[in-house]
Amino acid sequence: MSLESFQQLNWSIMTPEFLILGVIAILVLMDLFMPKHMDRKMIGWIGIVAILAAMVATASMVGGPVESILHDTFRIDSFALAFKLLLLGGGALVLFLAVSYEPKDGVERYQAEFYYLFMTALLGAMLMTSSGDLITLYIGLELLSIPSYILAGIRKFHSQSNESAMKYVINGSISSAITLFGMSYVYGLTGTTNLLDMASKLATLSDSNHVYLLTLAFLMIVVGLGFKLAAAPFHMWAPDVYQGAPTPVTAFLSVVSKTAGFVIVIRILLTVFGFAATDGQGSIPILYNMQNYLAVIAAATMIIGNVVALKQTDIKRLFAYSSIAHAGYLLVAFTALTPNMFYSIWFYLLAYLLMNLGAFAIIQVVTEKAGSTKITEFAGLYRRSPVLAVSMGILLISLAGFPGTAGFIGKLNIFLGALYAEPGHYLLASIMIAATVVSYFYYFGIMTQIFFRPAADNSKFNIPFGIVVVLLVAVVGSVLFGILPNIAFDFLQNNLDIIADFFK
Amino acid sequence: MVNLTKLYAVGGQITRIVHEWCLTPIDTHLKRGFDKMENAWLIPLFPLLSFLLLLLIGKRLKEASAYVGILMTLASLVFSILVLLERFSEPTYLYRFDWLTIGEMHLTAGFEVNQLNALMLFIVSLVSFLVHTYSKGYMHGDERFHVFYAYLGLFTFAMLGLVISPNILQTYIFWELVGLGSFLLIGFYYYKEEAKAAAKKAFIMTRIGDVGLLIGMILLFWQTNSFEYSEIFKAVEAGAISNTMITLTAILIFIGAIGKSGQFPLHTWLPDAMEGPTPVSALIHAATMVAAGVYLVAALFPLFLASKTALMTVAVIGGFTAIFAASIGLVQTDIKRVLAYSTVSQLGYMMLALGSAGYVAGVFHLMTHAFFKALLFLAAGSVIHAVHTQNIEEMGGLWKKLKFTAPLFLIGTLAISGVPGLSGFFSKDEILVAAWEGGHPVLFLLALIAAFMTAFYMFRLFFMVFTGENRGKQTHVHESPSTMTLPMLLLGILAVVAGYVNTPWFGSFLGDWLTDGNPVLGHGHIEGPAWIMAAATIVSLAGILLAYLIYGKRSIAPDWLSGKGDMLHTVLYNKYYIDEFYQMTVVAFVTGFSYLLRFIDVFIVEGIIKGVTGIIQGLGKLGSKMQTGQVQTYGAVAFVGLAVLVVIYALTGGYLR
Repeated sequence: MSLESFQQLNWSIMTPEFLILGVIAILVLMDLFMPKHMDRKMIGWIGIVAILAAMVATASMVGGPVESILHDTFRIDSFALAFKLLLLGGGALVLFLAVSYEPKDGVERYQAEFYYLFMTALLGAMLMTSSGDLITLYIGLELLSIPSYILAGIRKFHSQSNESAMKYVINGSISSAITLFGMSYVYGLTGTTNLLDMASKLATLSDSNHVYLLTLAFLMIVVGLGFKLAAAPFHMWAPDVYQGAPTPVTAFLSVVSKTAGFVIVIRILLTVFGFAATDGQGSIPILYNMQNYLAVIAAATMIIGNVVALKQTDIKRLFAYSSIAHAGYLLVAFTALTPNMFYSIWFYLLAYLLMNLGAFAIIQVVTEKAGSTKITEFAGLYRRSPVLAVSMGILLISLAGFPGTAGFIGKLNIFLGALYAEPGHYLLASIMIAATVVSYFYYFGIMTQIFFRPAADNSKFNIPFGIVVVLLVAVVGSVLFGILPNIAFDFLQNNLDIIADFFK
Repeated sequence: MVNLTKLYAVGGQITRIVHEWCLTPIDTHLKRGFDKMENAWLIPLFPLLSFLLLLLIGKRLKEASAYVGILMTLASLVFSILVLLERFSEPTYLYRFDWLTIGEMHLTAGFEVNQLNALMLFIVSLVSFLVHTYSKGYMHGDERFHVFYAYLGLFTFAMLGLVISPNILQTYIFWELVGLGSFLLIGFYYYKEEAKAAAKKAFIMTRIGDVGLLIGMILLFWQTNSFEYSEIFKAVEAGAISNTMITLTAILIFIGAIGKSGQFPLHTWLPDAMEGPTPVSALIHAATMVAAGVYLVAALFPLFLASKTALMTVAVIGGFTAIFAASIGLVQTDIKRVLAYSTVSQLGYMMLALGSAGYVAGVFHLMTHAFFKALLFLAAGSVIHAVHTQNIEEMGGLWKKLKFTAPLFLIGTLAISGVPGLSGFFSKDEILVAAWEGGHPVLFLLALIAAFMTAFYMFRLFFMVFTGENRGKQTHVHESPSTMTLPMLLLGILAVVAGYVNTPWFGSFLGDWLTDGNPVLGHGHIEGPAWIMAAATIVSLAGILLAYLIYGKRSIAPDWLSGKGDMLHTVLYNKYYIDEFYQMTVVAFVTGFSYLLRFIDVFIVEGIIKGVTGIIQGLGKLGSKMQTGQVQTYGAVAFVGLAVLVVIYALTGGYLR
């Protein structure tokens, strides 16, 4: 490619990514040249500003046409924009948590790295939303994963944090290897890495041996990406990693990383396997043929996540299982494959982002103060800080899917989708309901601690500014989208025609 | 970016309405009568405001918080009365707007004032107002006084919102919110282990029922493409839903009602819920929330009517619960538990009425029961307030000391026992007629026996508490303050007179009004044979007589507690003989039967529940045991998972569908 044609590419569609990348570079240099004693928090604030700017840049592209550069390795469609906005929103809230994170054994020494590693991981996630090619998808995935490994272990002198990072690296590598192996089959059968080219080539597939191989590839990609989603039975790393990692990192893994996982799952599975025929042109695609496998994974994820959560005594582990369960609900939406799937998943991820990050904000404040992550540290929170207690109460009922909250609308959508699908997934829908009932036990267990137990000590909390911001956004959002969910749906439906754009 | 225009439009509209309203001269307002029904949506907002206010400034107001709550519920009450009065002459008012649009789905929200809703608004806001007033005295001195009032506000808001919902989704939302309010209030004395356990149990058990409701509701939506009551009824009438589907959805929705209204087998939470403060028991667990299940069945009555099986299910569950709970009530010694089982039993009556197509009878009894049961609970609260115990074995002879509470309690007892002339008599008679005319002779008989038991255990309670000698150790027994006695007085009056709105003698005003314009709901009054009323009177009086002979008379004997009874010294041999006879036969049988049912209750019903939770807990334990912390295990499990998926695929050739 000549320099001239290189310059003629429409680079402006990468503005959000360039913004983040540029600021990361500046922050690295700042960190290097800043005097040692200076407070590194400033770096975090600059990061937040950069993310918000990237959000504005992304939002300004909403409503525009589908654009792609570099042979579809980077594309802007409604899907990319919708999920990029979620990722950026989540990323900004996580950074707010991070600037307020001051554990007793200190991460001050690495505080600056903390911020730009977050942003690097976020950049990886953003790339994934905009990729129409296996190579960039994989690069995005690794760009997200590698900084996450480091982040999990950033509390260098904290043995749990080290253990957490080690486990994450090993499990992450296994998953990457499996995914890559599966991808290699797909590449081998089509000779291209471009997703849409693959789709058109596979749409007329009729050789049953090829179908067989491709289905094996499908299973491997599902399993490999299942790690990222923490779907059962590939979820086992999650509780250990979540528990050991610093709280903002846990929040990041459970929200941003999981959202990115769903992005890549939808991109690959829907584009490639949604078209790959099983028996000549016009036959049922592999993805539909394999719906039952996805349903089994979804059901197992919901059951294991919710049931094992009952036995947890550590709040971060409990939230690890809770986030596994939420991945299960989301998988139900993906399994159902209704036309409303994008909306259901997007809205659920939005609701989940708000309620989970809000809950982690409170977990961070409470566990930092107590120096322990036991659930009993929440006892009597209502007396110590009514504001935190009521906020946590609202977020918990939203997580449990209680009417009047965003979590309820999200679950209702998914549930209706599962019944509306042709053929309806009644069993899966019933399991989802039963799993939700089980989840009430542990969410309300925390509520009981907060409202009905006496406090061990009556010291009050200082709520840092960053936490206040996160809580405000999370609580207001959870209630607002619970009462007026149309705000979000109208925005999506009026501006982003995801289905039409997706295959362009 | 975000579609804010709609939001602005709504905001603008509200501003305009308020502006116009303020500018209109006062006499125009008066002439227009303020369009009460169109503004019925304000009724739930008063208690919500009370909740929010108390949340913010309750701590500073301390016990003055009560005034906020009382004033706000008074506003709701006044408004509800106006709406009720207007509804007598005006047609049903329905307002709705698009709430949520996803693809093809349109969900609406709004409010509806029909006869049932208007009546419920009145009942709920009245009882809530009285309980707010009563609590001022009852909760006096509690450290978290303002929190109590805040929770009461939240509950009242949810309950009032529930009864004006025009669609089942909105009903469900408030239904859950009501449950949350109940959860918070049952667990109000959080330092008591039992209260905590009861709160959790109540919440989870009603949730089990709610799952049925949710599934039924979504199936209905799937069939009719709407959550609206009116649309659903239209579809049912037009035969757009298959009969099996109607039966299935009706029964699923009824499961929700079973959970909320404490019907067998999901009733065990209700007696436990008595761990909450007594005013809460009166408001939530006697008059309003537990009646929501009955309300739900009544609100969806045309759906139930369309399925014989569903109606039969409702009638059988209701009839069985009525006698089942009544018999357990015979042997309880905790004053509130007796009342709790009595509530379960009376709710069973209402379900029996609805299941026998006696719409008016069910709703009528809902109303009268709300009054006399709230009265009984408040009076019981007054007794507990005075003697600081709930055990009736430690009471006795309180008639002279509680000069105000005792007669009121007696009125409530007479009303619930179905003594002629009081409200309970008329509504219970309607139910018995409905059961008989509905073609359920067995259920009718059960209901009649349950009526006998009700009269018996209620008077057993009355005699043990108020007559005889004081068996307790309390010395300073005193009457409650007027904030507590006045609400009781008002309820006492209602417990006497409320029945006269629908009697076979003076016309069935309530029934005619309730069914006006809705012929599908049945007639305002079902004509029944005259002997039913006579039979009801006889069993009721017989129950009272038996209770008197056993507990009223025997309590005179000095060795009452030893239970032998100094029978030889009783004046009349004949009487002794009857006593003995009853003791040997009826009472022994009933007690045995009651213990049997209690056994079923404890070991089978609770056992199943414990079994299910046990399995889930066991699974959880297994799952956490698998979590060894060893990364090799995790990798291995994942590989096994992959291998299993591949093997299944290889074996089935990928056509496992």
